[in-house]
Amino acid sequence: MEIPVIEKGQLPPCPVAADALQGIPRQQTNAGLWHGENWRSFVGELQAAGIEVREDRGSRGIYVTDAGGLAHGLPHGVMLAQDAQQVAMLMMKAQHYRIPVTTRGGGLTTEGEAVAYGGMLLDMTGMCHLLSVDKKALTARVQGGMLWHRLAELLRIDGLDYISAPLNLASSVGGTLGVGGIDVNSARYGCSADQALALQVVTPTGDIVECSDDQNVELFQRVLLGYGQFGIITEATLKIRNYTPMRMHYFFYHSLRAAIDDLMMLDQRGVCDYTGILTLMDKAITLLVGFDTPEREQDFRHIMISRLRGCREKKFALRLLGYYLPRPWRWRQLRFLLRWKQALFPDLLPAHHMQKGVLHDRSAVFSRAVWKHWGHKHMVIPDLAASKEKFITAVERGNAVCKKYFPYYTLYCVGIKLRPEHQPHYELSAIPPDATGWSYGCEFEPILDDERHYSRDYLQSFKNAIYDIGVDMGTSYYRFGGMMKAYIRRALGDAVVDKHLAWKRAADPAMILNRDVIF
Amino acid sequence: MRNVDVIIVGASLAAAAAAKRLVDAGFETLILERLELPRHKICSGILSPRGYRFLLENFGPLPRAALHDPTWCRGVTFHFPSMVSMPMDFFGGTTPHLHRKYSDYWAIQRSGAEVHDQTSVVALSDKGTHVAVSARRQGGETVEYGARYVIGADGPSSVVRKAIYPQYDKQIPWFFVGQKFHDIIHCPLDHEYFHFWFHPRLGHYTWSHARDGRQIVGVGFKKGDSFHDRHRIVEAYLREKHDVQLQPAAPDHEGCAENFGPSLINRYVFGRGNMLLTGQSTGFLNMIGEGMSCALHSGAIAGEAVVESLCHNQPVQSVYRQMIASEVRRTSDQWNPLMIAFAKPHEADFPAALLALPREDRIKVLRDIWRFVVLYKEFNWGRQIMASSLARLFTGRYPPQRWL
Repeated sequence: MEIPVIEKGQLPPCPVAADALQGIPRQQTNAGLWHGENWRSFVGELQAAGIEVREDRGSRGIYVTDAGGLAHGLPHGVMLAQDAQQVAMLMMKAQHYRIPVTTRGGGLTTEGEAVAYGGMLLDMTGMCHLLSVDKKALTARVQGGMLWHRLAELLRIDGLDYISAPLNLASSVGGTLGVGGIDVNSARYGCSADQALALQVVTPTGDIVECSDDQNVELFQRVLLGYGQFGIITEATLKIRNYTPMRMHYFFYHSLRAAIDDLMMLDQRGVCDYTGILTLMDKAITLLVGFDTPEREQDFRHIMISRLRGCREKKFALRLLGYYLPRPWRWRQLRFLLRWKQALFPDLLPAHHMQKGVLHDRSAVFSRAVWKHWGHKHMVIPDLAASKEKFITAVERGNAVCKKYFPYYTLYCVGIKLRPEHQPHYELSAIPPDATGWSYGCEFEPILDDERHYSRDYLQSFKNAIYDIGVDMGTSYYRFGGMMKAYIRRALGDAVVDKHLAWKRAADPAMILNRDVIF
Repeated sequence: MRNVDVIIVGASLAAAAAAKRLVDAGFETLILERLELPRHKICSGILSPRGYRFLLENFGPLPRAALHDPTWCRGVTFHFPSMVSMPMDFFGGTTPHLHRKYSDYWAIQRSGAEVHDQTSVVALSDKGTHVAVSARRQGGETVEYGARYVIGADGPSSVVRKAIYPQYDKQIPWFFVGQKFHDIIHCPLDHEYFHFWFHPRLGHYTWSHARDGRQIVGVGFKKGDSFHDRHRIVEAYLREKHDVQLQPAAPDHEGCAENFGPSLINRYVFGRGNMLLTGQSTGFLNMIGEGMSCALHSGAIAGEAVVESLCHNQPVQSVYRQMIASEVRRTSDQWNPLMIAFAKPHEADFPAALLALPREDRIKVLRDIWRFVVLYKEFNWGRQIMASSLARLFTGRYPPQRWL
């Protein structure tokens, strides 16, 4: 029998029935393998140009999966990025021979976006240098493969800090700018991609182009939050700031709704520098607030504390006891909560990072806590991003899905300040189109341990159930990686996707760069 | 002797799913199939929405050649002796009516695995570090293979299962399922639905649906009974009670042995040592006999377990058994009376369809179902089902101690 060839980005006609799998486009979402046409000629030309391509199974096997651990794929070869010229040569040859190229920074994608199903894997972590720092203008020029924790270390030498980065600091600057990146201060400063002032990009056809709000504006708009479809970020100029320690407070809630209401109220009033919600199931809900200066903290104490509906730790403990005492069948859950509290909270306020009640430095503390308590071979963090109006319902529905699939899980909610002038950047991204002022994201994260193995199939079913809520409610997704192909059409509609597909075809005629992430 | 990472026995949908996971992860995977591909497969071809979604996500949109006509199925209609009928639509819309000969071949090709067809496995020997596989090609040539792992995805009469547990087949009741094809004179049964009869007089498994301009009349019964006699009874019943007028059956009737029991009573067989079983060879079968969706998912999980074992040096059997627990839970839930009564384990809403009936019809349906269930009394499954159901209620899972 003949298997019809379907061009990338196309939705073929469905021979089943018009209403088959309502809402799910007929599209393969787990990428198919590329079989190696022209591979030898392509590698021969690269090698002739002095570029090393690693083809042994050991070198390729390192990249077999990403942080999500659900998708597996082996590239035909691996290239370590060294400079923009070398990357440009790669793209030029790849375009000529139609070789798929998958870029990878920290490898923290969760749906296989940084996994190569054949073709060339370009490891960007070879380009990991801080090129320059302008202390006066508070900007830094960094290479795309720089990991955030390394950037933090280098900036600290001069008493400086990045503005916002994912809590998981093993992600790369280039990868993060391509997808967004959220931090506990995103409600004040926006996402990480909003901090980029200019980029050096290698286009899919192998040109090296500098772009910003003033120069090659369209490319700048496409590449930031563009899921790696329109170019490879080799360098970025980022806004930075002076380093400040952090003053933290926790408030505890029984009700998700009340905690989210308070989070939104604080964000709108702009009284905190850091805000976020971290929960253990829907039983122990913690609102985290933080401040850069003692003055801001004092203002908050005087004006806001009394308006919050959350309580402090001791009062919450009594309430929790009141809830669990008459419910002995839930004591196992209570034991879990107490065990986690004892393990997690000291790691969020570690003595060796505290001076006079002030936290030094949040990057190290939070990143370590994330890896220690949520680090697992499967990073399962499907999330929903919604407008303020839809957010609570989205979280409650997602919470019900978590309960159905896992005994223990956490939710992490944070606001993202939107910049109206960045609207063109957001169009293809996970920022919901109907959000104004702030968008809110919630990660739904099962607590996995090494004692219980879940199949990838089960974890993917859980993620699909979360994404289906998003499609049903017209919300979106905000993730470390790209989006599943099936969902972007359902979330953003054919018109937006087809418009970007046309741009993609023009920019990348062979459709080789980061295939199967969106198109 | 050819040495590979993994050999999969059988070119089924379960094999395709397992192969997809293994090939994606870069492992050399070889599928051995005793027939020439594309091969014929006896099956209704009605797939659940969950199975369709898996096919779509992993292998892409189905080509037209992989479908029968009508190309879709809207749901299932239950018929009862009291002449109450309950149509139920699948959640999420229609599903494909698979032409197994071509759909299986298509999925196998899309998996990227190497296939040796017309190659029958004749002996398997687990050497501890690898499995030695002897096979015979058509024409009698003997070939030897070696593999780190072997996955048996070769259906209810599994060669791999026989090699691991030679006595197993004698310990479970076997059924015969056969179907005959009729040209249609007049058929009021809705061609968009799969029709199933809860009627003890007709047999353990009685169904009908339209395919390529003909009507299938299918019967299932305990092995040893007469296919033609059983079929005659059902044909007469359809004519008399449902006004289904059919031409005499065409000569291309077909049938095969089926193992209906394991997923009812949580008695699955997952393999031993370096040999895994998956799909229907394990005993996965959804209610109403749909085995394709659990074959796809369990096949993928078998592939994942082997990848996990090869990449992280984990013991494959324990990893597989932990990973497969979710699929066991989902499949066994479909047969669990407590789940059927209080949850929605199926992909069509049986409780809602029941509640939509007038009160007296509801009572008739429940009475008819009970009389139908009594038909299975001789197998002594009742106590095992109730024990499993209670374990599920209190522990949230089905006891793995019952698995082989």
